[in-house]
Amino acid sequence: MTVPVVEMLDVTKEFHGNPAIRNVSFDLRPGEIHSLLGENGAGKSTLTKMIAGVHEPTKGQVQYLGKPVSFSSPQEALENGIAMVFQETNLVPSLTVAQNLELGNEKLLNRLRGLYISAQQFLQSLSFEVDPTALVSQLGAAQKQMVEIARAVRHNARVIIFDEPTATLTPEEKHHFFNLVERLKNDGVSIIFISHALEEALNISDRITILRDGMHVITDDASNFDRDTIIQHMVGRNLTDELYGKDKVKRQTRPLGKRVLSVQNLSMGSMVRNTSFSVFEGQVTGVFGLIGSGRTETFKIVAGVNKRNLFHGGEVRLDGKPVRYRVPRQAILDGIVYVTEDRKIEGFFETKSIAENIYSGLIGADLNQKSVVSYSEMAALAKTWTDRLNVKAIDNKSKVIELSGGNQQKVVLAKALVQKPKLIILDEPTRGVDVGAIAEIHELIHELATSGLPVVVISSYLPEILSLSDRILVSRQGRIVEEFSIDDATEERIMYAAVH
Amino acid sequence: MISRIFDNLLGRGSAAVTVPPMDGALKPNNQLENLQPGIPAAQVDDIVEWKGEPLWSDGATLVSRSGVQAELPSVITALAALDDTLVVATLDDGLILLGGDYQRAEIAWATPITNVTAISVDQSGVILFCTGSQTNAPNEWRRDLMETNQSGMIGRANPKTGEVRILAKNLRYPSGIATTASGSIVYSEAWASHIVEMSADGSNAQIIFDEIPGYPGRLCRQENGTFWLSVFAPRNPLIEFVLREPAYRKAMLQEVAPEFWIAPHFYSGRYFNEPMQGGALKQMGILKPWAPTRSYGLVIELSSTFIPLRSFHSRTGGSRHGITSALQSGNTLWMACRGNGEILEMQLVEKGKAL
Repeated sequence: MTVPVVEMLDVTKEFHGNPAIRNVSFDLRPGEIHSLLGENGAGKSTLTKMIAGVHEPTKGQVQYLGKPVSFSSPQEALENGIAMVFQETNLVPSLTVAQNLELGNEKLLNRLRGLYISAQQFLQSLSFEVDPTALVSQLGAAQKQMVEIARAVRHNARVIIFDEPTATLTPEEKHHFFNLVERLKNDGVSIIFISHALEEALNISDRITILRDGMHVITDDASNFDRDTIIQHMVGRNLTDELYGKDKVKRQTRPLGKRVLSVQNLSMGSMVRNTSFSVFEGQVTGVFGLIGSGRTETFKIVAGVNKRNLFHGGEVRLDGKPVRYRVPRQAILDGIVYVTEDRKIEGFFETKSIAENIYSGLIGADLNQKSVVSYSEMAALAKTWTDRLNVKAIDNKSKVIELSGGNQQKVVLAKALVQKPKLIILDEPTRGVDVGAIAEIHELIHELATSGLPVVVISSYLPEILSLSDRILVSRQGRIVEEFSIDDATEERIMYAAVH
Repeated sequence: MISRIFDNLLGRGSAAVTVPPMDGALKPNNQLENLQPGIPAAQVDDIVEWKGEPLWSDGATLVSRSGVQAELPSVITALAALDDTLVVATLDDGLILLGGDYQRAEIAWATPITNVTAISVDQSGVILFCTGSQTNAPNEWRRDLMETNQSGMIGRANPKTGEVRILAKNLRYPSGIATTASGSIVYSEAWASHIVEMSADGSNAQIIFDEIPGYPGRLCRQENGTFWLSVFAPRNPLIEFVLREPAYRKAMLQEVAPEFWIAPHFYSGRYFNEPMQGGALKQMGILKPWAPTRSYGLVIELSSTFIPLRSFHSRTGGSRHGITSALQSGNTLWMACRGNGEILEMQLVEKGKAL
């Protein structure tokens, strides 16, 4: 029997006395792709961080190539051949791509030209279209992720841990990524793959391990799983129908209300091109499109985050009146609330508490009762919304950064809803959110629409779009190209419209 | 003034050449195009239910399914039924009343009523009428649009006393009128692409349905309180652009034959020298799916609160364009299709579907 590359024996990790991982055993075989799945807060990242030298186990033992190890830092783990590509990129924004790739391996004297040439060759060998001379701060999220992946490969790691690597990649980039992972596997590299995209895990993995509440649930060959059984193991019950309502007949389409938003011939550079559509009250308008199709940019113009073309940029009409916002605050005051797809950067103040974050939404909309910060109002507001949205935290003074993805998203939603929106735009509302919280967020979205609010849900996940929407708009190359009623919509038809 | 200069420079506000989207309940379909061939009526304009059956105007004649019923000396521009009396508007004689045998009843209006585009009768038997324009007759509607006139009126005419009262004026081509269950008046203002509701005395006017992607025409109320709205021509960005270029429009009106104006029409695509022909519309003989059109077929069902419920279309490549009037009788929807010169008949089934 082959010796596992990495083996964890009865490992426990506690933070301030609270166990995040409890008596978990895990092994990674040579040249294996091993997916690690679980809800947010299940302990996936903590487990892998113990392998990569970020955390040390409180109890138990980590073995690498058959020997017990205790890496004191990620750098030490990297030097020993274990690389981790984190969910949040760890690149230095002020350095170029090539410099970031070389970081940690610098010589005393470095020749930039040579550095760029070798980085260029290396990136091309991975089929990553990234300019090695570009500053990392100027790259998009997907390109940053590519550099992070390239960096791990560059260090000739024997074990690479990918934590949600595909969340920001386009389908084409994902294709490249999976090809790369296959190549690494063929070269004998062992890979741990953490993802919320269950189909990806099923397709790519040799084995799958599922964690729940910091405990090991099951490890088995990927061929022995399907989507339903994975979810069942992850949450302890079958959530597929609850989440994405396979039986569409169960849900009645909400009737079309008054037109609230009318976007007419809107244009912004090459991202949004002469697009027109409407949003009606009392309905969920789903917007589907591939990454780069301009869907987010379109709604960011509506919300005053982006600006349309100066000349002939088209019109946005709210309740029949033309509006043009210079800053998001003006849109918020008019009742347009945009919940970002990138909550960590744009959605909340990570070092502030839950209560302060929710209260900041109220202040942003000028709805606070007093002209100075009222801590009693803040506390009452936080209690109301954390109770209503079932935010799980020690108390409302906990920092948002300490919460799981699902609970962070609930705080962002609470911050938006306290603004009493007339139109709410939710961009990828369940990205990076565990399945339990997805159900709660979906229920909230249905509640909002049923109460008469116009709701826009932008999502890249077709089952989500199909289960939430009353009508579906498809975006392609910067414009809305197709509209489906829920009766006419199928995954195939929507995807066809999005691609062709 | 300054904002207008900026608007013209940047293409914003009044200078924005944008058109509202056709989506939601207005999502395009081919339901008009898929209907069986209708009853030929080359100059069809308005349609009304009288004596229990549909009666329509075809130029100067009144026609029913059984054939021509009467011929008037002048072209008919609107129809309405008042019990046994038929209220007719004509180009030359204005508003006249016809008895059951189509004989003209004598009536002397206090003030002349001309250029009538639509008529309705309220619960008390008073006639409500739209005068589209003070300067252009209804058959000159394209000129009125190109002149960007705002001289339309809504009025009440009492057939018992001959009294005429103007309820609203300086309107942008009112071309459809009806009453609601509560007795208020609703009318469509074609050049403003909206529908307005006002009290029976003309006060409290407010827009209740805005941003129609075409020029709304006649309104017909059903027993259940819903309305059929005929949209007789579409808006498109090129026409919107021409509408904000006064010098160009003036030259076009003076120098170009009306048939070839860059203006909406009941039909299009019949002549090779029309505007927007050739490469703008067709490539290799195939109509481009995104081709702009000067004509379109559209009928919208509106709820009693003027929210669109469903719509029937004939799209750019179709021929059932220029729907000028619609009437529901039982489960049948009758439509006057001026663009193709026919009366269309549609069997209505459950909401959102038609046979």
